[in-house]
Amino acid sequence: MASTAAVPFWRSAGMTYITYSNICANLVRNCLKEPYKSEAISREKVHFSVTKWADGKPQKPTIRSDSPED
Amino acid sequence: MAMAALRREGRRFAPLVSSPNPINAIRSTLAPAEEQVGLGVRSISTQVVRNRMKSVRNIQKITKAMKMVAASKLRAIQVRAENSRGLWQPFTALLGDTPSVNVKKNVIVTISSDKGLCGGINSTSVKISRALHKINSGPDTECKYVILGEKGKAQLIRDSKKDIELILTELQKNFLNYTQVSVLADVILKNVEFDALRIVFNKFQSVVSFLPTTATVLSPEIVERESEAGGKIGDLDSYEIEGGETKSEVLQNLAEFQFSCVMFNAVLENACSEQGARMSAMDSSSRNAGDMLDRLTLTYNRTRQASITTELIEIISGASALEG
Repeated sequence: MASTAAVPFWRSAGMTYITYSNICANLVRNCLKEPYKSEAISREKVHFSVTKWADGKPQKPTIRSDSPED
Repeated sequence: MAMAALRREGRRFAPLVSSPNPINAIRSTLAPAEEQVGLGVRSISTQVVRNRMKSVRNIQKITKAMKMVAASKLRAIQVRAENSRGLWQPFTALLGDTPSVNVKKNVIVTISSDKGLCGGINSTSVKISRALHKINSGPDTECKYVILGEKGKAQLIRDSKKDIELILTELQKNFLNYTQVSVLADVILKNVEFDALRIVFNKFQSVVSFLPTTATVLSPEIVERESEAGGKIGDLDSYEIEGGETKSEVLQNLAEFQFSCVMFNAVLENACSEQGARMSAMDSSSRNAGDMLDRLTLTYNRTRQASITTELIEIISGASALEG
């Protein structure tokens, strides 16, 4: 099976389908006019904190956030 | 009231008055304030009971307010959770949900809340996760945890430290939306190797009933393996596939998207269950506080009446002693 031949550009760039669809959705949201645009942008906010663990020990947590830290 | 002030003064001077009698002094320091009826101590103080009643009343008000807040949040999020159920149903129809699949690398995604005071839902989730872990860890399989939420983290850290892969917290700072959950799903996909993902969450049936559920998402290689083996997934070939040259590529996209949709639904349902559980927990808490308040009021009245009776008896016996 020619599995590497037909890989789409975004997958070879390291993105998953989820990232790809999120970027597309962001583009669509930016096409809206006000006031719907600000409502839609508010639906896109991301904030969480990730801690990776290795061998039973937590490493430094990183915060993944679109909003400024206050 | 002057009587109350006198009573309090009496209590303060009591040890000095009764000091020639050491046994009495010991008894008066050992006995709690409302039962102090030693010699010359004219003070059955209702102060302690009154303080308790005040604090219990405050707690009742707070828990009632928390219940209202949880009820309003529940209303907002319930609609979204029920609407999001439509996201993963086509996936289950297409790819099936097979919890009994036999794979090498299992990852258990436990969804819990960040805040407490929500009843037993986090404990049930953790219990189910541990049971799944036990079922799935055999000689050649491994099983790891990904934890969402502080409460699950606190419980699972205690005994499963070496099996934890990722912990994600602070999810509910903004309103829950699909973008956030999909970014979460992306982080999990990129950092964790898996053959099957088992997502454990509390499904929201109604305001008082939450079912702990497991949703299974398979990685694309395993889906291919299962489709070779036949069964529900084997019908994939009969579908016309557009946008993708090879079946494995389409399966990979589908599997990632399925994970993201299932996670979205799971997070919303868990948030709903959290608010519902908090509502019922706070409701029973205010009811308990009310019961406690009733009991304390009875004790308070009894103590008050006993002290008044004691006063009266002293006065009357003093008066009759004077006359007679």
